[in-house]
Parts: sequence; structure tokens; C-alpha cells
Amino acid sequence: MSNNTASSSAGANGSADSAAPRRNSKRPKYSRFTQQELPACKPILTPRWVISAFMLVSIIFVPIGIASLFASRDVVEIVDRSETACIPAQNRSDKVGYIQSSADKTCNRTLRVTKRMKQPIYVYYQLDNFYQNHQRCVKSRSDEQLRSRSGENETSSCEPEDVINGTAIVPCGLIAWSLFNDTYSFSHNNQQLQVNKKGISWKSDRDHKFGKDVFPKNFQNGSLKGGAILNTSIPLSDQEDLIVWMRTAALPTFRKLYGKIEQDLLPNDEILVTLENNYNTYSFNGKKKLVLSTTSWLGGKNDFLGIAYLIVGGLCFFLAMCFTVVYLVKPRRLGDPSYLSWNRTPGGR
Amino acid sequence: MSGGWERVRSTRSRLSRDVSLTGRSSTSRTVRLGRVQPQAPGHRTIHCNDREANFPVRFKGNSISTTKYNFFTFLPKGLFEQFRRVANCYFLFISILSMTPISPVNPITNVAPLSLVLLVSLIKEAFEDWKRFQNDMVINNSPVEVLQDQKWETVPWKKLQVGDIIRVKQDGFFPADLLLLAGTNPDGVCYVETANLDGETNLKIRKALERTWDYLTPEKAAEFKGEVQCEQPNNSLYTFTGNLIIQKQTLPLSPNQLLLRGCSLRNTEYIVGAVIFTGQETKVMMNSMNVPSKRSTLERKLDKLILTLFGSLFFMCLIGAIASGIFINRKYHYLGLDEGAPTEFNPNNRFGVAALTLFTLITLYSTIIPISLYVSIEMIKFIQCTQFINKDLHMYHAETNTAALARTSNLNEELGQVEYIFSDKTGTLTRNLMEFFKCSIGGEVYGCGITEIERGGALRSGINVQEVHKSVSAIHEKGFNFDDSRLMRGAWRNEPDPDTCKEFFRCLAICHTVLPEGDESPEKITYQAASPDEAALVTAAKNFGFFFYRRTPTMIYVRESHVEKMGKIQDVAYEILNVLEFNSTRKRQSVVCRYPDGRLVLYCKGADTVIYERLADGNDDLKKITRGHLEQFGSAGLRTLCLAYRDLSPEIYESWNEKFIQAKSSLRDREKKLDEVAELIEKELILIGSTAIEDKLQEGVPGCIETLSRAGIKIWVLTGDKMETAINIAYACNLINNEMKQFIISSETDAIREVENRGDQVEIARFIKEEVKKELKTCLEEAQHCLNTVYGPKLALVIDGKCLMYALDPSLRVMLLNLSLNCSSVVCCRVSPLQKAQVTSLVKKGARKITLSIGDGANDVSMIQAAHIGVGISGLEGMQAVMASDFAIAQFRYLADLLLVHGRWSYLRICKVITYFFYKNLTFTLTQFWFTFHTGFSGQRFYDDWFQSLYNVIFTALPVIMVGLFDKDVSASLSKKYPQLYKEGIRNVFFKWRVVGTWACFSVYQSLIFYSFVTISSAGGKNSSGKVFGLWDVSTMAFTCVVITVNLRLLMICNSITRWHYISVGGSILAWFIFIFVYSIFRENVFFVIYVLMSTFYFYVTILLVPIVALLGDFIYQGVQRWFFPYDYQIVQEIHRHEPDDNSRAGLLEIENRLTPQEERSYAIAQLPRELSKHTGFAFDSPGYESFFAAQLGIYAPQKAWDVARRASVRSRPTTSKKN
Repeated sequence: MSNNTASSSAGANGSADSAAPRRNSKRPKYSRFTQQELPACKPILTPRWVISAFMLVSIIFVPIGIASLFASRDVVEIVDRSETACIPAQNRSDKVGYIQSSADKTCNRTLRVTKRMKQPIYVYYQLDNFYQNHQRCVKSRSDEQLRSRSGENETSSCEPEDVINGTAIVPCGLIAWSLFNDTYSFSHNNQQLQVNKKGISWKSDRDHKFGKDVFPKNFQNGSLKGGAILNTSIPLSDQEDLIVWMRTAALPTFRKLYGKIEQDLLPNDEILVTLENNYNTYSFNGKKKLVLSTTSWLGGKNDFLGIAYLIVGGLCFFLAMCFTVVYLVKPRRLGDPSYLSWNRTPGGR
Repeated sequence: MSGGWERVRSTRSRLSRDVSLTGRSSTSRTVRLGRVQPQAPGHRTIHCNDREANFPVRFKGNSISTTKYNFFTFLPKGLFEQFRRVANCYFLFISILSMTPISPVNPITNVAPLSLVLLVSLIKEAFEDWKRFQNDMVINNSPVEVLQDQKWETVPWKKLQVGDIIRVKQDGFFPADLLLLAGTNPDGVCYVETANLDGETNLKIRKALERTWDYLTPEKAAEFKGEVQCEQPNNSLYTFTGNLIIQKQTLPLSPNQLLLRGCSLRNTEYIVGAVIFTGQETKVMMNSMNVPSKRSTLERKLDKLILTLFGSLFFMCLIGAIASGIFINRKYHYLGLDEGAPTEFNPNNRFGVAALTLFTLITLYSTIIPISLYVSIEMIKFIQCTQFINKDLHMYHAETNTAALARTSNLNEELGQVEYIFSDKTGTLTRNLMEFFKCSIGGEVYGCGITEIERGGALRSGINVQEVHKSVSAIHEKGFNFDDSRLMRGAWRNEPDPDTCKEFFRCLAICHTVLPEGDESPEKITYQAASPDEAALVTAAKNFGFFFYRRTPTMIYVRESHVEKMGKIQDVAYEILNVLEFNSTRKRQSVVCRYPDGRLVLYCKGADTVIYERLADGNDDLKKITRGHLEQFGSAGLRTLCLAYRDLSPEIYESWNEKFIQAKSSLRDREKKLDEVAELIEKELILIGSTAIEDKLQEGVPGCIETLSRAGIKIWVLTGDKMETAINIAYACNLINNEMKQFIISSETDAIREVENRGDQVEIARFIKEEVKKELKTCLEEAQHCLNTVYGPKLALVIDGKCLMYALDPSLRVMLLNLSLNCSSVVCCRVSPLQKAQVTSLVKKGARKITLSIGDGANDVSMIQAAHIGVGISGLEGMQAVMASDFAIAQFRYLADLLLVHGRWSYLRICKVITYFFYKNLTFTLTQFWFTFHTGFSGQRFYDDWFQSLYNVIFTALPVIMVGLFDKDVSASLSKKYPQLYKEGIRNVFFKWRVVGTWACFSVYQSLIFYSFVTISSAGGKNSSGKVFGLWDVSTMAFTCVVITVNLRLLMICNSITRWHYISVGGSILAWFIFIFVYSIFRENVFFVIYVLMSTFYFYVTILLVPIVALLGDFIYQGVQRWFFPYDYQIVQEIHRHEPDDNSRAGLLEIENRLTPQEERSYAIAQLPRELSKHTGFAFDSPGYESFFAAQLGIYAPQKAWDVARRASVRSRPTTSKKN
């Protein structure tokens, strides 16, 4: 053993004798990299570190959790489920037939404001069990066509809603074809509540993805109508309902922004919603909901983040306590050689 | 230059014998034939010194190429090599699949990483090939003198052509296979060293045909116009047939005239030769073959892991596919699933939907197989080899100017799992250098040196050994390393028993078969001895003042100093009457000599057992004391011989001599009769004392072996030596000590000998087999008994080659394996190279343990190739072992560095790299998998194509390579201080299915966290203006979380974090952000997503939450594991946590020498007496009279030592003078 050491240290101090290098010496040059001696920090996960880390996390997380939760709780949200209620009682046995019929589908709903809602109040529709993220759906669009007029005939990806009678459909594709077409109008004390439909889509979409010179063409002219009809005189960049709809939802349950009510609502206000129930969610048992919601700095009502933060913060605190207790009850001396495996097994072979 | 030859290897190893045989019969006969025979097909005709005449034949040039590819074949051949790897084929398949319409992803997703991986691999190949090319260029451009216009012109090797006349100077290499025409030595002889071919360093003789001796000067050589007809190029190194037709004479050519490329010229000023074979057609090049490529065990296990991944991939796809078949329904009217829908969405054909979705999902989940894994590992290993192993200063041997060399880069981590080491003895453990070290004369020990093993032992028992300072006047020459002022310079005369001393020295000076050579002065004389032991003894006598300087067949002349009086020198001639030579049964050697004054003495030296049997009665004290000394020497690892003498009366001698002469002249059973006669006179001996010779170990061997054995590595010595020698070395190396229980299975038992004498081969075989079986059985029983007792002794097995042959029989193999695996050390002696390989593969295949073979000579090649890892000792002249090896180191002791430091680190790193790769890809793919459940199993991709393809190659690639290069749990010095840490590698602690399973669990957990947290929290309006997120916003969010988490997770597995870790981890995360900032400006579907995301608070809140929650599980696991179930390395880290980094080597010396209390305790237990020492260290080598003298003289090996002496003493002078 001692010999090993001597030789190894000789090797290390050998840089001195390499001062007079022999020619052709194959002695490797010293560098921290090749000798694997790069300076490094060597963190050791000691109990103290573990406990401190847990404490730190809980100290940071609990306040954030509380803040988020408050933000979420500040939001006033009114949800109205309407898909069944909007079907006349006599038609409820054949909802699909009803929705596909040409009958008048206007439906009135009354909402009661529970808490004061500051403007702007956002109006969302929420669909359920609607697979807008289905591969067939996601693929079936043509970004080139949407962006500029020159890409009008780029419809290869839009199958089956690509062309009609040899000319391109604008906007083509299933996703545009299935555009949501329920409409809502609100009145309060017999006074029409104005719904602002400007600025409901992300600006980047409006400015870059949907062209100002692209106008709807041949849209919903096929035998089967998928959804809403677009005004052919308005360029796509101004068709905000379409823009919102075209930002594919991530999950089969999703909300989309319908418009803004720029007026405060007071508690116990009754709001009359006149709803044109056109969109067929009945064939696949999808729910429809109307949501009125205010927002906070964090967005709409969503307790999840706040709760998650609180739980994690709490859990970390709990773990820190547990570890502390264990540390006090059954301490392990750091670097206790008796824990080495060859000291634990007798003989140590 | 020699570097170029390393790749040249020959298959044969027995060159020297053949050459010395052929060298002997080198008489050139001249056969006259009237006409030149027409050239037969399969022959080549070479017109020497006539390029025009050779031109039509178009012989190949002399440039060689060892490159794998050339400019044109590089791409196709290189790609072919790459696609032999299953993973690459898989990705090719996926890439093709992703070009079809069913793919949800852009083909680029799969093509890009594959191309990148292939590109990196190809660059590496090209780089390696370029280095080979440069190496070739160096060789091809080395200069050689060729005859042009009666002058020697220097041209590069590659310009040589068949038929050229060239001149090679002393120590130069032959550039091609040459026909030797003339040399400067008088008799047309030249000496050739073939070390590059076969590793043998003795010189071989080549002799030119007498007819061509004159063509030495350029003027004369220019006149040479010969025609050579010879065989076509072939790879047989030892054969050559052809004719030289010169001036209408046809002279036969033999290998004797052929100088092979790669050999070098020695002891000859220069030679002139004609080029016969060039370049690739030289014999040595035709012999070059590739080493069988070895794959590491870990990599094979990795294959299993990859297969498991394939399995889970298929399983996941199957779930998705079946579900998609069930899901698809026309009720989802917005999907436009009318009659014209393509098969993959056609509800009328649910089976078709499922089948096509299966393929879709395979392309989608293809990331589960880490494509960059192999190339990353390859890169890591390559750097580990070239930068770390090859450049480690700890493994650089200054004396031979050799650094370590990793010849293959795919076995690095195997070095961290070795459990069995098979070592050669000579040249590996020992230096094959015998030194007279100590002696015991008349019950007194002389010599104050301390062997390394004694030092080690003393150190362990806590005694601090002071290095005895050698007295200034101490003589240290080859064979003599003895210092004791009580004996030197005639001081022995003042010792209590000077007469015994005198007998001792005379015995050394007289009783031997050594030949003196050179000047008859003590400084200049060299002793030629069959065994280095004898030379050491005679050298010792010389240094004690009994200088043996001349031998005639009947006399030995000794110059004795200080005998009668201090300072007086006197030449004494002793008449040698009889020599009773050494053999392995007698284990002794005697000489009957007559003093000038007529005194008749028999001097005898031999094994203590045989000498003690023959001692005269009385003087028990001396016998007892001497025996004690013998044991002391033996346990110190020294080789002992007992010396004794007997005064003979003329009557007794005469009557005995008659019998002796009778026996000597008998025709039948002469051996046996001689032995019997010897018995008659070798009795009633008087003990003089004993000698102790150190078989000089390589530096640091015992320490290294001890370290390795503490690391749980078992070391087996496989040697061709005799049993005694082997056992002795085992003692010297600390492999066997007296506390061990030894099992000795030897064929040298009386019973076996008796059967052998009867001579019936079948019976012998049957009998030995029975004996071996019986032995094995009893040994095994005992061994099991020992193992069952708690503090049973360690076991050692010694077996000789003959027994091994039978023990390796399939019926006994299992028993042998069982026994030997229970032994902590095994010594196999008298084994052939083949048996070495057999034993190696017995353990490799039978026990499925990782084996390493280390050796230095041609006889170790088979064993080196058979083991998982072959290590060659480099720096010596022989290259054969190195050329067959995977790693080459200069000294045995560097094995500790190679295994405990490099191997262990490499193993840890590669394990981490593999498991981390597994984890990161699984996590990533699982998030995709969870998403599939929410898309109607349609195979919609969650992430953008480029995210997916760059995930592996950019966002997570670099940090893991840093871990593969820089991670170290404990420093190099601690690795050697706590060799037990190595056991974690042997047990494969870090790459078990359990480890992989744990990682997989955390992968599932983390992927669930990523997916659910991000999707759930993103529902609803997500900024203060109530706008909502789309699919790509959510997925970009999730991807950001994955990249951050996975990179941070890497930091959690690091034991040491250099700034490169920070740079690479930080860089990877940063790279993602930079990428997405730029990319989202161009790409349609993810257009502006990152800006949208960053405009919300939601983004920041989530990015803080998700990685921490994801890592929480791992953190708790690591905390608990470290606290309650710490690994050994973690404890060691903690013990040394306050110590500065290993850069301060000065402090290291102290640390290493200090023992921890535990170590002290365990050594104290080990030091308790167990069994009385029995080993006395007798060993005496007298091997290879043949090789020794044959090499010297080119004569047939004499059978008897006496003949050697006689023949040598009358041999001609010129040979001797040539040496000087």
C-alpha cells in the first residue's frame, strides 16, 4: 500500500522532473481535465440539507398558494348548463332530430348574479366531450390559406372539407367547418347588455395567422353544414369567433371566449339570456355550458394552482417535521464507518 | 515507429523454436541446373535490381494501408456499419414509417435525430480512420536506402518495389520482406529481433547464401542480377520456399534467408537485401487480423433494457390502438367521418383503424427508445479512454517511458466489475530477477533487507518499519542485494563460527553448474546460468570473497580472499569429481570435490525437506534454529535453499564412485540408477545454513494485490513455473499466507509417479483422473466445512497443469469450479497457454463472472483473448500480449488504478448515463401517452415535431455527457483507500432491474405530474383579459416543465458538480428558451405561444410549481435512502466531507498510511495465530536449459546439467567475443 502511495505521489509531483523533459517522452501532460481533478462542488444530502430544503419550499409555497387561492376566489363565475334545458320537453326523446330540424331553437335562460361582478365580464361557452384535439381535426386546416390570399389553394391538408366543385373552400378543413354557432344575447332589466366581440382572440393570431386579405369563400356551401356561416365580406382577421375557435383546444373539455360584457353586474341582478341553440352536441352527448366570469391577475376561476401550492407547501412542512423528529429520535452520525457494508458483515470477505 | 506495428499481429507464437532449429541447419547447398524452369502458376518471378523486367507483372507497391475505409467506400461502408446496430435500424424503420401519411408527426422528427446520431458516429469513425491513415503515412514515409546507380539513395518506404536492392542499418526495421544477400558479419550471418512479431526478445539468426556474400558495397551490389522464383505471398511466418537463379545457377532459398517486415536488425552493422514481398503482401501484414471485438456485459444488459422498452412501447401502442378502434364513431360529426373517410378513421373498419393507429402510435412514441444513447455512450467511453486512461499520470511508468493505453474503448465500465483476475507470473508479477537477499549460517541470520511483504505485514500490525539505511559501501549488483557488514569484506572471520561461514561460501562457489564468461575479474565477469537462482548464488559467493572465475570440465577455480588472513588473496583450484545434478524429484544438487590439499567434500544444496532427511544426527539446536529461519524466510516470500556438506574419506568415496560409474554407464534406467546411487552418498550431511533469494517482484505488487483482494477481486496466478516457485510467489505476493487453508492438488505424488513409471498411458490417465477426483472431493468437503464456520480460514487452492487437465474434464469441471470459487486465491502451475485460456473461460462461462487476464508474453495471448478484459504489460520489448490486449499498462501495480479508479468511475458513470437516459425518455414519452387518452386515441401529437426531435439531441444531450465524463463519487485516492467500494461494481448495484424499476416509477410519477398539473391548471381563461389557451400553449408549457425538470434531475444524481455541469444544464435550459423564442416566430402552429405564455402569470406560477412537485418524490427518495440505507460510497463521502479535494496529494500520503480503527481491528484479528507455519520457501528454478543454451549456441539442448557445463567450457571463443 505504502508503495502505491509513494509511486502515485511521485507521479503527481512528477511535474517537477518533467521540467527537463526527455525527448520523445510519452509522459502525458498534466491537465486538470485529463487527471480528472476539475474543481467540483460535492453536495452531500445531509439531513440538515433535506430539512432545510423542505422548509424552504414550504416557506415559499404557502404564501404563493394563499395568494393564488385568493386570486381564484376573487373571481366570480356563473355557470349555466343549457344543453338539455334548451330543448323543449316534447323533443327530449330525440334531441339529435330536434337539433337537426329547422325549428326555431331560441331558448331563454335566466341567470342570477350572486356577487358583484366588475366589468369586464367574460362570456365563455364550454363544450364537453368534444375532441377538437382529435388528430383528424387538428390536421385538417391550412395555415397558408388562412394567412394570405396567395395560399388560397393550399388545401391538401384540409380533406375532406377542402374543395367544392373544384374551387377551394376558405377557410378549409374540418376544424373551421365545425365552427360553433350558438349565439347568446343578454338583457338586464329589459335592457340589452352589449356583448363586445372585439379583442377576444390573441393578438398574435389576429395579426399574423389570419390574413386581412382573406375572405371566406364557398364556406358551408356543402350538402352538410358543420356549423356557423361566415360573413363573406369580412376578412378572416376580423372574424374573431373563428380565430378563437381555430386555436385548437388541448383537452376534450374546453372553454372558448364568446365576448365581453363591459358593464358591472350587481348581486341579485337577474340576467336574461336569449340563446340560439344551434350547435349539435347531442349526437355525442356533449354538454354545453354558458359561463360568465370575471378575472383576476391569475386569470379565471381555477383553484387548482392555489390548492396545489398549499398542499405541496404543507406537505413539505410536514416532511420537514417528520425528518426532524426522525433526526432527533434516531440520529445517524455522519460518516459513521460502522455503516460501511464491510464493517456490517462479519469477516468482511 | 513501433506504434505502427502494434496492429500487426501474428497468429503464431512459437517462432523462436522453429527459427533456432532452422538456424542450425543453415548450410547452403548449390544445385546446378542447366536451364531456368518456366514459371509455374502460383509462383512469382522477381528480377532483382531490374525494375523494367518486373514492370509487366505489376507487383503491389510497398505502401500499406490499415485504414478501414477510403474516400469512396467511407459513406456506404460506414453507414452499413452503423445500421448493424439494432437501435439505428429501428430508427430507420421509424423514419420510413413517419414518411407515410399515417404518421402524426413530420418525418423530420425522426430523420433529424437519426441523421445527427449517424453524423456523430461517422465523424468519430472518420477521425479514428484518419489517425490510422496518419500512422500509415508515418510508416510509409520512413526512409530506407535503396540502390540506384551504384549509390545508396534514401527513399521513403512506400517507393520500394519488388526486386529493389536495399540496405538496412543496425537497429533499423525491415521495410518489406527481404531476401538477405549480404551482411557485414563475416559469415553472412545477421541477427534479427522479432519482438514485433511474436514478442520474443531473443535474437534470431539469418544467414545469407554463400554465393551472395560479396554484394555488400553499392558498386558490387549494382552488379547483382538475380532472378528469384518463390511462392506467392502467404501468411505463414515460418515457411518460405523459392529459388534464386543467379548466373544460371539455381540456389534453393529457405526461411533462413528471409527477413520479415517488422523485424529489426541487431548486432550487425548493415545488411543488403532484395525486396521479395511488399506492402500488404508481406507476411506480417497478411497475418494481421482484428482482435475479436468484445462487448461489455453492461452493454449486453443494456440490450435487454432496450428490449424491455420495445416491449413497453408495443404494449402502450397496443392499448392505444385497441382503444382507438373502440373510440372511433360517426357520432362525432365534426370529424367528418362519412363513408369516404380514410381507413385510419373509418368507423366501418374498426380493425383497420386499430392496425393503422398502432403504427401511428409507434412513430409517436418512438422517443421511448433513446436514440442518442449509444452515440453518447460511445463518445463518453472514447473520451474516457483517450483522455483519462491514456493520459493518467498515475499509470505512467517513467523508467520505461510508457503510459497506459486503452486499445479498445468499449470495455471501460467492464473494468469496474471485474471479479477474477488471472495473472501470469514472470514479467507480470515478478521481474524474473533473482537476488541474493539473506542467509542463515550456523544458526545466525545475516542480511538486513526487508522484503516488501514483511513491510506490508509490519505495517498492518502497526509497527512502523524504519527503512534500514544501506551502508554506503553496500554492493548492489545484478543478483545480489545483500547488506550486512558482519559478512562483507572478510568481516565474517570475526563471527562466532567462521569455519561454517567458510563452508557456506565454498558451497556457494563450488556446488553449481554456472559458466563464467568474459574477463576473469570480479567486475567484468558475467555468469551464464541455467537458472537465475544459481547465478545469484555464485554472485553472492563472489561478493563474499570466493570468486569463481574459471571452469574446466574437471576443475573449478575460485579466487578466495581473506581466508587465511585478512586481505590475502589466493587462487584455489578444486577438482570436481562428480556432479549429482538437480531434478524435480531429488530437489537437490551435489558436487563431490577434492581440495588442493586432498580433502574430499560433498557439497549439497537443496530443498529443506530433502536435506533435513539426510542430515547426520546431533546438533539439533542448529537444525531447529535454521528451520525457524527457513520458515521466516519463506513467509517473507523468499526462496530458500539449504546448504550442507559432508567430508568423505577416500575409501568411502572410491567404493561409491565405482557404483556411480557403473550406474552412469548402464543402458537401462540410467536416471533411476543414478538417483539411487546418489542416495548412497548424500547422507549424514552436516547442515551449514540456508540461503534466501528474493525473486524480485515488480514494484508494488504485494500492495496492489492486497488492495485488489480487499476490493473483493480474486486473483489467480496461472504460471508455467513449478509448483514450489508458484507457491513461493504466491506467498511473496500475499496471495497465500500461513493463516490460509491450502489445498494442494499435485501430480507429483508417489502414487502417481509409480503408475507413471509403469508407462501405460491409458492407465496413467485413468489413475490420475481418479486421484484428482478424489482430491477434489475431499477438498470440496473441507472447503464447505470451513465456509460454514463463521471465522473459518480463507482458502487457497494450488493445482498443477497435469491435474488441471483432468480436472477440466467435463465430469469434474463443476467440482473444480465449486472448489475454486470458494477459494480466495488459486494458483495454477505448470500450465500451458491453452490451459490458461481454459481456466479463464471456465470462470467466465461457468461462473458467469467478469474476468480479467493480465500477462506480458506470447504465452498469455490466449488467456488475454479469452477473458472479458485482456490487459497486456507494455513497456517491455515484447508486443504480442499488448497487441492482443484491450488495455496495456506498464506495471502490474497500475491495475489498482485501472480497476479501482478508472473502472469504478467508468462503471458508475455509464450506469448513471444509461439509467438517466432511460428515465428522461420514458418521462417524456409518457406525457405523450397520457395525452393520447384525451384525444380519442387518435395519435395526435402533444408536442410540436421539432420539440420532440430536439429533446433528445439538444435539450437534454449535453448534461448527461458531462455526468459521463466528470461525475465521481469519491476521489481517486479514496477509491484506492477504500477498495471495498469496488464491490458495488462487482455486485452490479447500480444497474439492477430494481434500480431501473425505481427510475421507471419516478418516470411515471413525474410524467403524470407534468401532464395533469399543466392541463388541469390551464383550463379556463388564463390571463387577466380572459383569453384561453390552445393545445400548443399547453404543450409548450408542459415541454418547458419537462426540460427544466429533467435537467434539474440530472443535477440530483451528480456526486460532484463542476462548472461544466452548471454550464451544460443551464445551457440546455437556455437553449430551449432561445429555441422557442426564435422558433415560435416562424412556426405556424406554435406561433407566438411562448410570448403568449410569458404574458401570463400562470406561466411563472406553474413553472415554479411543477418541477418542484415532480422532483419532490425523487428528493424524498434520495433523502430517505441516504439516511437509512446509505451506500458505502456515501458514507465514505461523509467521512471525508471536510477534506479538501484530491488536488493536495501531499496530505494523501498520511491518509493512506493511517488505518481506520476498523481496519486495525480486522487486521488484529487476521494477525492472530492460526496454524503453525509450514512454508519454508524452497524453490529452485532450473528451467529451460534448452532455451538458454540453444539461444546461445544454436545447439541441441543437452539433457544433463553436467553436459552443459562440459560442453560450455570447451566451446569456441568467437561466440563470446561477439557478445562484447
